[in-house]
Amino acid sequence: MGTETSDTTETISRRSSDGPEMEPEPADGEGPEKVEANVGWRYTLSQIRRDRTALIGLYIIGFMSAVAAFAWIDSALLDYAIAEQFWYHPERDPAGTVTLLPPVGFENVFGQGTWQHPLGTDHRGRDILVRLVYGSRIAMTVGIVSTGIGMTLGTIVGAVAGYWGGKIDDVLMRIVETIYAIPFLVLVIAFMAAFGRDLTFAMVGVSIATVPVFARLIRSRVVSVREEVYIEAARAVGVRDRDIVLRHVIPNSFAPVVVQATLQVGVNILTVAGLSFLGFGAQPPTPSWGQMLAQSRGFMLPDPWFSVWPGLAILVTVIGFNVVGDGLRDALDPNLRN
Amino acid sequence: MSMAKYTVRRLLQAVPVIIGIATITFFLINAIPGDPARILVGPGAPADMVDAVRAKYGLDRPLWERYLTYMWGVLQGDLGTSIHYGGAPVLDKIMERLPITMLLMASSFVFAIGTAIPLGILSAKRRNQPTDHISRLVALFGVSTPSFWIGLMLIIVFSFHLDVLPATSLVMPWADPTTVDGAATRMDVLRETFIHLLMPSITLGTLYMAAVMRIERSSMLEVLKKPYIDLARAYGVSEQRIVRKHAFRNAQLPVITVLGLQLTSAIGGAVLTETVFNINGMGRLIITAINNQDYQLVMGTTLFFGVTFVVGVIVTDLAYAWVDPRVSYDTEAS
Repeated sequence: MGTETSDTTETISRRSSDGPEMEPEPADGEGPEKVEANVGWRYTLSQIRRDRTALIGLYIIGFMSAVAAFAWIDSALLDYAIAEQFWYHPERDPAGTVTLLPPVGFENVFGQGTWQHPLGTDHRGRDILVRLVYGSRIAMTVGIVSTGIGMTLGTIVGAVAGYWGGKIDDVLMRIVETIYAIPFLVLVIAFMAAFGRDLTFAMVGVSIATVPVFARLIRSRVVSVREEVYIEAARAVGVRDRDIVLRHVIPNSFAPVVVQATLQVGVNILTVAGLSFLGFGAQPPTPSWGQMLAQSRGFMLPDPWFSVWPGLAILVTVIGFNVVGDGLRDALDPNLRN
Repeated sequence: MSMAKYTVRRLLQAVPVIIGIATITFFLINAIPGDPARILVGPGAPADMVDAVRAKYGLDRPLWERYLTYMWGVLQGDLGTSIHYGGAPVLDKIMERLPITMLLMASSFVFAIGTAIPLGILSAKRRNQPTDHISRLVALFGVSTPSFWIGLMLIIVFSFHLDVLPATSLVMPWADPTTVDGAATRMDVLRETFIHLLMPSITLGTLYMAAVMRIERSSMLEVLKKPYIDLARAYGVSEQRIVRKHAFRNAQLPVITVLGLQLTSAIGGAVLTETVFNINGMGRLIITAINNQDYQLVMGTTLFFGVTFVVGVIVTDLAYAWVDPRVSYDTEAS
């Protein structure tokens, strides 16, 4: 009985906040549950679909995810069978290929670019395109997974601190602030120096460093949502604190978190690239974009193209997430639209 | 509450955070597997020599004792000694490298703010016109590009192909002219400093510029929508005067916040920028320290960075109160 009442309250409050921008259709006829479940996302999606820039971003994310998924399947399940059959092995040094070939249509001291290696070859004669494709695994996986972990932990910490306040709030937020005060990159490097240089630790390190971002964000929202009338109503009806937080406080504070999460994937991809560039992250011969850039540093004069491609790959991917994040912000909070 | 009292209270609030940073870094660094004493004397050295080194740097004592000793030292401004640099005090190493990183960060700030604020304002004034679209595109690329890649591209174009800018290291403006290549007078040294700083500042400053530009634009738009701006317009105040006299100061509050918070990513960016341009600043110091398992040096530099950030945030808060007289020093207390 109690939860039913508060569900309705939540629906009403959502309507009043989204009211003027909403399509009129859900207001009549349909049951309250259905309205509550669908309106937010359907509205957001329709907004995104109208936003051409955000749509491009969605395509980029979709494309990069597909490439990364392909690379994962081929490497983890098929042991590079597809790559070797139709293409080149991304990690093994091939016999007899020219090193540092330029892309098609260009020429350098090592030779003429050919269609066999459309983007050229690296310092060990490996195809750059194939390494870019297999390098996408790391960027996409670490970017998305670490953001997911950081968001989940951060949301829990922030919601608990914001909802209960008092001593818990003080202690939790002091810890969060402390982590936040150590520069992101330095924190992850120190963490990886302690536990190991490989990818898992990069992921854990970046996740930990992401927690404060979300904890602070959700706390600031929760502090104001906590005072809303419908929360008070739920409390008056006797809903348990845990249920209030999980069912009402967090969902109603979540819009900015979704936006931040999308943008954070971009930030984390940049961080992971930076880490790999410094030698912390996927170790050779496993390709990653940051590591390819680090390797290219020694050959910038004879073959500048080697340095161009991995950076472009990072740039395009991160732009995808940033553009979608901006689009989501516009869709979820029309007041912020400029 | 007076400004002075507020400042003191904010500083006191920072103390637990700083203790926390020191604690976290201490335990993190001491979890590093491997023996720094062994690394220092080399793998073939006899056991008693390793023991002697271990005793010399206090590595033979239990963890909690080392922790207390360390914290006691930190309280007195002693960050320990660096194993890698032959027992030199960590604080000395930091102070030696600090001006270099400061110069780099300050110049990238100047670049970022100098370009971002005018562009942001212009973008807001000419909303949805070509100028706006271009500067928004610049901002989007700025936040999406890996800073170190910008550095690599700049080196390829301006050092290798056009051969107009140097690709490595910095020249400090107070350097002795005789030690600087191609400089005879103080003016030459300053010119060299400027030339050497150009690419690293752009590399480090781009992310900053983009972040500030975005917030400046949206903040300016927000303020320009306010009724008091309409009123000023109704009185016939010129558009330029409105922006300069009425909107600008009020629009800077979110910008100041972003400036303070971006300080951490700027420090991270400095590590990368210094690596790209082979600048021997704090960033490379910390990488050297980690690669050589120089515990004390890693802890010292991390702690120093953390304190810098905390102080930066406090300065931001104070600047906030200074720009906006409505901000009450008491609000924090409630």
